[in-house]
Amino acid sequence: MSKAVLVAGVVLCILGALAVPDASAQSLSLYVIYGILALSLVMVWGWGGIFSFGQTAFFGLGAYAYGVVGINVGNSEWAGPLALLGAIGCGAVAACALGYFMFYGNVSGVYVAIITLASTLVLLTVTSSMADPSYRLGDAIIGGYNGMLGIPGMSLPGIGYLDARQYFLFCVGVALSVALAFRWIRLSTFGRIVFAVTDNETRAQLLGFDVRAYKLVTFVMGGAVAGLAGALFASWALFISPVVFGLSQAALLVIWVLVGGRDSILGAFLGVYVVQRISDYLGEGGGSYTPIVLGSLLIAVVLVVPGGIVPTAMKLAASRTPKNWRRFVSQTNRIRRDAATDVAVGLHLGPSSNEDHALRTAGLEKSFGGVKALRDVSVQCPEQGVLCLIGANGAGKSTFFNVLAGRLAATKGSVFLGGEDITRLRPDQRAKRGLGIKLQVPCVFPTLSVWDNIWLAAYSGLRQSDAATDQTAAVLQRLSFDDSLDISTPASDLPHGAVQWLEIAMVFAAGPAVILLDEPTAGMSHDDTYRTADLILELGQHSSVVVVEHDMDFVRTLDSPVVMFHEGAVFRRGTLAELQADEVVLDVYMGRGATA
Amino acid sequence: MAGDQLVNLVLVLLVSVSTLVLVSIGLAVVFGMMGVINLAHGEFLMLGAFGTILGYRAGLSLWIAMVMAAIGVGVLGLVVEALLIRHLYGRLEATMLATWGLSIILVQATVLIFGASTQGVPTPLGTWRFGQYSTSEYNLVLIAMAVVTLIGVYLVFTRTRYGTIARAVTQNPEMAAALGVNSARVNRVSFAFGSALAGLGGALLAPLVGVVPNMGQAYVARAFMTVVVGGTDVVLGTAMAAGLLGAVDSLVSNLFEPFIGSVALLLTAIVIVRVLPTGLTGRLRGRS
Repeated sequence: MSKAVLVAGVVLCILGALAVPDASAQSLSLYVIYGILALSLVMVWGWGGIFSFGQTAFFGLGAYAYGVVGINVGNSEWAGPLALLGAIGCGAVAACALGYFMFYGNVSGVYVAIITLASTLVLLTVTSSMADPSYRLGDAIIGGYNGMLGIPGMSLPGIGYLDARQYFLFCVGVALSVALAFRWIRLSTFGRIVFAVTDNETRAQLLGFDVRAYKLVTFVMGGAVAGLAGALFASWALFISPVVFGLSQAALLVIWVLVGGRDSILGAFLGVYVVQRISDYLGEGGGSYTPIVLGSLLIAVVLVVPGGIVPTAMKLAASRTPKNWRRFVSQTNRIRRDAATDVAVGLHLGPSSNEDHALRTAGLEKSFGGVKALRDVSVQCPEQGVLCLIGANGAGKSTFFNVLAGRLAATKGSVFLGGEDITRLRPDQRAKRGLGIKLQVPCVFPTLSVWDNIWLAAYSGLRQSDAATDQTAAVLQRLSFDDSLDISTPASDLPHGAVQWLEIAMVFAAGPAVILLDEPTAGMSHDDTYRTADLILELGQHSSVVVVEHDMDFVRTLDSPVVMFHEGAVFRRGTLAELQADEVVLDVYMGRGATA
Repeated sequence: MAGDQLVNLVLVLLVSVSTLVLVSIGLAVVFGMMGVINLAHGEFLMLGAFGTILGYRAGLSLWIAMVMAAIGVGVLGLVVEALLIRHLYGRLEATMLATWGLSIILVQATVLIFGASTQGVPTPLGTWRFGQYSTSEYNLVLIAMAVVTLIGVYLVFTRTRYGTIARAVTQNPEMAAALGVNSARVNRVSFAFGSALAGLGGALLAPLVGVVPNMGQAYVARAFMTVVVGGTDVVLGTAMAAGLLGAVDSLVSNLFEPFIGSVALLLTAIVIVRVLPTGLTGRLRGRS
C-alpha cells in the first residue's frame, strides 16, 4: 500500500464520517468503539501471538475507570479527557501487572489464555458482588450487578459535552489515530521484532532479543487501547455493568477478530461491522437465536476458514490481494538495497569493540537425572580463529553448545565470556554480549522473508536500523546469493540447502564475537561444503568460531586446533593430524571398533 | 477456639476443596490425557445439573438421576469429540475456540428449552448438628464423593487396560502408535470419560446451588485455575491444587467476603504459575 493510497483512505474515512446522517451517528459510534477494542486484540493476538482472552477485562476496567474519574471530576469540560486518560492508564497498568506474571514466569500459549480468561471471570464475580452502596470510590458507586449509573458523557475543553454527531466524529478520529499508530508500530523496528518473536521465539532469543520484554510491551499497549475503547464505551452508554466481564462479551470480541482476520487493521473494523450487522438483524426477531448463530459462526470459522472470513473472501474476490506487510517491507528494503549496493558498502564482521571476548569454560558439568552428559569440561576458545569439536554421537558436543548458549543450565562449573561470568545469564543476555549460535536443526523465522531474516540478525548485532539495512545488503552481496532467489520469499518456502545458507548469512550479518556452529555442513553438497569452509575461515579472522563437525575432510580443510569429546569429557586436544596418529583416539572414535 | 467451631471450619474448608475437585477433575482428565482445553467444560457441568433435575422430576431417585446425568454428558462428550475435537487435534488454540463456540450454543439452547430462571432439587438427607453448628448431611456426601472420584480416577488410570494405554499415549504418542495403539480411539474414550466426570460434578452440585443455564461461568474459572496449578498429573495434581486453592478460598471468604476469596484464589494461582510454570506436579513427570 503506497502513501497515496493510505492518505486517500484516511480522507475517504473522514468524508464518509461527515456524510453519515445524524440518525445513524449514535449506533455507528458503537461499531467504531468495538472496532478499537478489536484492534487491541489484533495487536496482542494477531501480531504478538499472545492468546489473550483478557482484552475485555481491560475494556471493562477502562470503562469503570472512566466512570469513577468522570463522576468524581464532576461537571467540568475536563471530565471527559481526564477520565479517558485514567481509563488508558488503568488498562495499561492492569495489563502490565498480569503480563509481568505471565511472561516473566515463562507461561506459554494455552496457559496465557486460561489465566487471562480466569482473571476476566474473577472481575465479573468481584464487580457483581459490590452491590452494597458502601462499595464506592469517591462519589462513584460501583453498583454491583446493577452497574454504575450516572457516568458523564464525553466532553472536550472548549466544546463542552459532545452531541451524537460530534461524538461520532470524535470516535472516528480516535479510531483513525489508533489505526495509524498501529500501522506505524507494525512497520517499525519494534514491530518487526514482535513479529519475529511470534514467528520463532527461540531464534529471537538466540539473536539477543529479550522475548519477555517484547511480549510484555505488546500486551501493555493492547491493554491501554482496550482501556481506551472501554472509556469510549462508558461515555457512549453512560452506564457500565459487570456484563462486560462475562464470557459472552469475551467470545464476541474473539469472533469479531476471527471474522475480520487476526492480523489485519482494516479487518478489525470489518469484522465488527459484519458480526454486529448479523446480530442486529437477528436481534429484531427477539434475539434468542443470536448466541446460537454466533457460536456456530465461531465454530465454522475455526473449522472452515481459519484465516478469517473477510481476508478469505477478499482473496477469492480478487486474486490481486493487497500484499501483506512483510512483502511490503521486503520490497521497500529491496529498493534500499539497490541504492545501498551502488555505494559499495563494507561488511562489518566480528565485534565492534576491542574488548576481550574470548569464551572459556571452567569445570563445566551437566547432569540429566543420573546421566552425566558433561563432566569437568574446561575449554579455552581462541579470541580469533577456528576451533573444531569432534566426537562420536552422544559425546556431549551439542549439550556443551546448549550450555554455552544458555539453553541448558549448567549443573556445576562456569562459563566466561571475556572476563565476565555468564553462567547464570539468559540466552538473550549472552547473545547481546556477543555470543552467536547456529543450532543443529534449522532455526529461522519461517513466515518472514529472507531479507527480513537477515535484517533481524544484522539488527541484533548493530542495534541500528539503517546500519542493519546496509549490513543486510552487504551480506547478500558477499555471500552472492543465487540471483534467482527472491529475497522476499518466506523462509519456510526455501529448499533445505538454502535454509542452511540463510542461517550462515544470519551469522555473518549478526557478526558476533563468538560464533558456535553446530554441524554447519550437514546435508550440503561437496562444493557447498568447501564454500562454507572458506566462509568459516573468513569469519575466524574477526571472531572466535567453534565448529562441531562429523565430516573429517571438512575439519581437515579448516586446519584448526581440535578438541575431542568422549563420554562428556574433553578426551584429547591437538591438531587433526595428531589425533589421527593417536591409537586410542582411533580406537574410540575413528573407526576401529569401540573399546569400553 | 471451641471444638465445634473448629469442626465447622474444617467442614467448610473440606466442602470448598471437594467442590473444586468435583468441578475440575473432568477438565483435568481431558487436559492431562489429551492436552486439550475444553472451554465448554462449564456447560458440561451445567448439563450434568440439568440432567439430574430432569431425571428427578421424571420420578427417578435423586441418586439414579445423578448417575444417568453423568452418563448422558459422557455420551454428549462422544458426540462432541466426533464432531469437533477430532478435527482439531494438535491445534490447541482452535480447539479452545471451537469449544467456546459450543459453550455459547449450549447455554442459549438450555435457555430456550428450560428458560432462564433458577431451577433446583431439594437437598436430600437430613441435618447434622454439632455444638452450636449444623450442616447438611449432603455436604458429607459431597466430601466423600470427591474422595471416591479421585480414587476411582486413579484406579482407572493405573488398573485398567484403557488407563495404561492412555498414559502411554500421553507420554509418547509415536511409540504408542508404533506398538499398534489406536490413539484416536484412546482419545475418544478419554474425552468421553472426562465429560462424564464433568457431568457427575454438575450432578452432585445440583442440590446445593441454583441451577441456571449460565452457571458454568461461575465454576469454569476455578476449574481452570485448579487444573493449571495442578499440572499434568491428573489425580495428584487435582488433589493438591484443589486442596491449596480450596483452603485459600474458604479461609479468605470466611475472614472477609466470598468475592474476596475468589480474588485470593486467582492471585494464589497466578503466583504459583509464575514460580512453577508447569504446575505443582509439572516436575514430577517432566512433561512440558
